[in-house]
Amino acid sequence: MQGLSAAPPAAFLLLLLRLSALLLPAAAAPGAERELSPSSRLAAGAARVALHYLNFQTASPGTLQALGQVRKATVKSIPDSGHKYYLQFTTEDYKSGENARSCLATVLYPKTKSPPVVNIKCMQSKDQKQIQEEDNRLYQKIRHQTKPITGNNIPDSHGNIEPVLEPVWALAVAGSSYIMWEKSTENMGYFMAQVKSVKQWIRKDDFTEFDYTILLHEIPTQEIISCHMRLTWLPGHPLKVKYFCASENQGLEDGSGMESGSAAGVLHEKGPNF
Amino acid sequence: MKVLVLLAALVAAATSIKTFTGHQVLRIVPTTEEELQKVHELQDMEELQLDFWLAPRAPGHPVDIRVPPSSLQPLKEHLEDNDISYSIMIKDVQALVDHEQTEMLQRPRQLVLSTDSFNYDTYHTLDEIYSFIDLLVAENPNLVSKLEIGRSTEDRPLYVLKFSRGGTNRPAIWIDTGIHSREWVTQASGVWFAKKIVQDHENDEGLAAVLDEIDIFLEIVTNPDGFAFTHTENRLWRKTRSTYSGSTCVGVDANRNWNSAFGESGASRNPCSETYHGPYPNSEPEVKAIVDFVSNHGNIKAFISIHSYSQLLLYAYGYTSTPAPDQKELHEIAEQAVTALSSLYGTSYEYGSIFTTIYQASGNSVDWTYDQGIKYSFTFELRDTGYYGFLLPASQIIPTAQETWLALKVIMQYTLEHPY
Repeated sequence: MQGLSAAPPAAFLLLLLRLSALLLPAAAAPGAERELSPSSRLAAGAARVALHYLNFQTASPGTLQALGQVRKATVKSIPDSGHKYYLQFTTEDYKSGENARSCLATVLYPKTKSPPVVNIKCMQSKDQKQIQEEDNRLYQKIRHQTKPITGNNIPDSHGNIEPVLEPVWALAVAGSSYIMWEKSTENMGYFMAQVKSVKQWIRKDDFTEFDYTILLHEIPTQEIISCHMRLTWLPGHPLKVKYFCASENQGLEDGSGMESGSAAGVLHEKGPNF
Repeated sequence: MKVLVLLAALVAAATSIKTFTGHQVLRIVPTTEEELQKVHELQDMEELQLDFWLAPRAPGHPVDIRVPPSSLQPLKEHLEDNDISYSIMIKDVQALVDHEQTEMLQRPRQLVLSTDSFNYDTYHTLDEIYSFIDLLVAENPNLVSKLEIGRSTEDRPLYVLKFSRGGTNRPAIWIDTGIHSREWVTQASGVWFAKKIVQDHENDEGLAAVLDEIDIFLEIVTNPDGFAFTHTENRLWRKTRSTYSGSTCVGVDANRNWNSAFGESGASRNPCSETYHGPYPNSEPEVKAIVDFVSNHGNIKAFISIHSYSQLLLYAYGYTSTPAPDQKELHEIAEQAVTALSSLYGTSYEYGSIFTTIYQASGNSVDWTYDQGIKYSFTFELRDTGYYGFLLPASQIIPTAQETWLALKVIMQYTLEHPY
């Protein structure tokens, strides 16, 4: 746009300021809680972070939750702490898209380089027994294989997942939720794009153990991040995840001044959690 | 396997005169020299008209025999009388031949002879889509024509389908799919849209009304180099396949290469990045071809770029939070379009400006076309919301295309009813 010869009217400027304040994360005065549009990317992003955390904590590949709709979102700037989001949203069953349930969550993005702090409470739509049954079904499918499970490109190029690999894929989603939660920031979000490879380690005890190479889709950079993930699982027990993500682009910098994280040389471990 | 080779031969034979209805293939495994001898003797019984697919060799080696229906009873009795056990490998040879023939005709990799036998519920290669385009034009010469608007970095033709009832330089609507090659459901939907226009252009009132006054341009494979690469090397490839000196990395994000806030926040100047904007605006021939086309046409009234995934309907701007001057109107159109889309399968979409709804993106197509004066400029992000992401199962192609089409029709009809 070429320079305008006359200054824009004051009212228009004020509207601009207000709208920018709504959209840019930094602007709120400390303590003031401002409302976000439910369709705003910041609201959706925060809700997804809360769900990554929930899916990892629940440790139930049979009852993974996906984001339904954001109903209400506000954000508060907490001095010396970070930005805290207050969210009301619905979730649905990851696979079927059904069983909508309501959730309330807070997501604090710390100023320091540490994972978001999440508190989430959802209405229970399935009872414990149903959840156990789902997980046991998946568990039995894994245990009934006569050879260690291996696989590549799940889903394949055409979006197909072989029935025998379904439980292993669902576990990958649950496990990678831990990675995605840890890596998420106010401006950087993740989806699990594909399981590049999976290999089962047979154990003497009842736990199942897998080595994964998973591909994460990072937004807004659009990068595909390759992560190695070692996961152990037994229904009713917390997920144990160790991971290492490759840094895709050395010295990546872009016009918006975001940081690119690198987990090079650092192995993150998350053990059983109460 | 030998059986398949023989089957193929049968298929060839079957296409001419013979039929193998009721023929069975029996397998015998002689365990002794005596049994082997008995099986040898079968070969001399010419009246049985036995066809040995696997001839007798030695004890322990299978013998496969195709048996005509009239010989089945006598042969089986003969074997039973001589204590020779057998199994039925193929219960009806003709049924198997028929099945194989149907398979061969339907298999997408085979030559398709009409757009009616084209598989819309599967993903296709570049060659298959280009063949489809030629077939569609040949079948509908009065409505559809193919334009080559340029060539890609790797010298592949860039084809646009023109749907027109006539006239000269009528106002037009532009739709592109596949600018980001890994978004496979978009090219697949583009193919479906093309067929849909041809099927409905007379009997669907809304579409007919649009085509009476407005032309539709549809570029199905906007990034053919990238698309070919997703088939051969890397399913998750996004960018073009250009290279520029100073970097070993390949490709430019074709949706950051437009001349609108080029190089500003919302794109990357790193050639190795997925959102690399390129060395200068329109450096990518894939983008320049559209820019030239739109500029030369001069009468495009709606411009729709289709991406996946996220289930969003977006309008300008992406490079700034400043609302577009027509924001209110665009928001209302988007609301109507999304309502229509959701009405089919309940698929829920969010809508708003690119910046507020998805992320900051500079140098994108819709910002440029909007600032050129093409008021009804929209970007779609199709299914899903991250469950399968780019790897959307083929079974969702048609439902996705169907619901998206309803939204497109809302935009097209609105364009018709609100000329500017």
